[in-house]
Amino acid sequence: MEGDVRTAAPLLRVDGGPPALQKAGWRTEPQSPMPQVTADLQGASRDASAARTPGSRPLSPHVQVWRWHPTMVASILSRITGVGLYLGAFIAAGWAWALASGREPYDRYMDLLGSPLGVLVLLGLTLAYFYHFAGGIRHLVFDAGRGLNPKLADMTALAAIVFAVAATAMVFGVAFVTGALDGLI
Amino acid sequence: MVGKDDSFKTDLKRARGSGSAHHGLGMWMAERMTAVALIPLGLWAVYSVLQLAVIGYDGAVDWLQSPVNIVLMLLTLAISFYHMHLGMRVIIEDYIEHKPSRLLWIGLSAAASLLGAALALISILKVALGGAPD
Amino acid sequence: MVQLTLPKNSKIGKGRHWRAVDGANKKDVRTFRVYRYDPETGDNPRWDTFEVDTSKHGPMVLDALFHIKNEIDPTLAFRRSCREGICGSCSMNIGGRNALACTKGWDDFGSTITVSPLPHQPVIKDLVPDLTMFFAQYKAIEPWLHTETPAPETEWRQTPKDRDKLNGLYECILCACCSTSCPSYWWNGEAFYGPATLLHAYRWLIDSRDEATGERLDALEDPFKLYRCHTIMNCAQVCPKGLNPAKAISEVKKMLVERAI
Repeated sequence: MEGDVRTAAPLLRVDGGPPALQKAGWRTEPQSPMPQVTADLQGASRDASAARTPGSRPLSPHVQVWRWHPTMVASILSRITGVGLYLGAFIAAGWAWALASGREPYDRYMDLLGSPLGVLVLLGLTLAYFYHFAGGIRHLVFDAGRGLNPKLADMTALAAIVFAVAATAMVFGVAFVTGALDGLI
Repeated sequence: MVGKDDSFKTDLKRARGSGSAHHGLGMWMAERMTAVALIPLGLWAVYSVLQLAVIGYDGAVDWLQSPVNIVLMLLTLAISFYHMHLGMRVIIEDYIEHKPSRLLWIGLSAAASLLGAALALISILKVALGGAPD
Repeated sequence: MVQLTLPKNSKIGKGRHWRAVDGANKKDVRTFRVYRYDPETGDNPRWDTFEVDTSKHGPMVLDALFHIKNEIDPTLAFRRSCREGICGSCSMNIGGRNALACTKGWDDFGSTITVSPLPHQPVIKDLVPDLTMFFAQYKAIEPWLHTETPAPETEWRQTPKDRDKLNGLYECILCACCSTSCPSYWWNGEAFYGPATLLHAYRWLIDSRDEATGERLDALEDPFKLYRCHTIMNCAQVCPKGLNPAKAISEVKKMLVERAI
């Protein structure tokens, strides 16, 4: 990292000022041609070479060029489903609150959850839950130092997604059979 | 961010920063321990939701008279809210660089988790202890 | 707040297009889309497109870059040295993944190959990123043997079994492919040490001759320096030496757990 400003620093320390003061290690106002040099440096840092100071260098492309791996998809899915479940937890808290508030609020709350929008949200949450569940187990295995071979990790990433879809289908199948989805029809 | 610092700090100075915070293991472990606990509890919760979906208000109140259901319900809710607070904190730390904003968002998330947990736990306890309105 | 898009001065414009030379066999022609940035003008970076007759050069992406520099545009800047995967100079993003240009064949890709600098780094010129912070972080973990016991007259002895523990770690050539592949390093590149540095940290942690294991662990236990690793696995996916930084970091985390329980 050799910014222009930094290479300039030693220049300012050479000559200029009465010899006695120089000898004593004091710096005084630089004599000519130093003012000239200083001005040039300032000019330079404002102009083209400003592009060369570290702060103004362009940032190389990252997500713009990256070709994703299954493991990277798995990682961001864990995060997205985690945020989804964060919100979902408040639906559960709302359910408990409704239950404690009495029959009428509870029925209204359950009607809301049984409405098409409510079921859609619950479907999303179930999917998110099962993905987060499988992805979480996958990460616990990683943390035990296992399953970290990239090819294997790609496979477990895909397996987690397949599991989430299958388990969600199963749960909604059961819900359909028990009549939990009857409100929809 | 890399390359943002225009000061004369040396590279090593920037890489070292203020040194290690000497913590991180605790939160990392807590996130994983709660995750392990939520493996059985989460599956139980899915099973319970399927049951609760069809038994109506009286059924749900009845269901919450069982000590096993009460304990598992309280544990699931408490651990879930703690786990999600820990997870959200990591996300905030990842994406929000400005320290005061970071602290603010972590605080807001913690407060939301705590309020959600308190509301859920107290409600469950009220019903479980026979305080459900008729 | 994390910025997923490129900052204003980094947005990449359309650059020059160099057509294949007359008489080139169509099936030999491949298109290289190369990131260009000229610090002399300070203009925004651009994508230059080179139609290259690949029958005129060797099998690797580095050969193609040499061909471009020698025959088409001598102003193209890139780092290179050993051309055999041991110096780690020619690391760059090729076809969306980090690799060494000297060990990556251009025939691994389709008709168009995108070549850009290592991701999310300040660019000095064209394909040359500023890796100052990357090397400073490596320096920060003090990658040398720490001992207090007076040095023996001959050498510090190590059993073959203990020596084997360094396999898969000491081969790292610090090309930065892994660190600059890591989204966590993209968003927190100064606070998080990144996979390469942490792999080296582990290399010294498990060295049976090193006496500073505890201090090294102390220095790593930090929500950012170590625990920004979320096992996204990009590092292990791209390492051109086939090493597994994700596994090494996982072992460091395990050492911290084992020390505490």
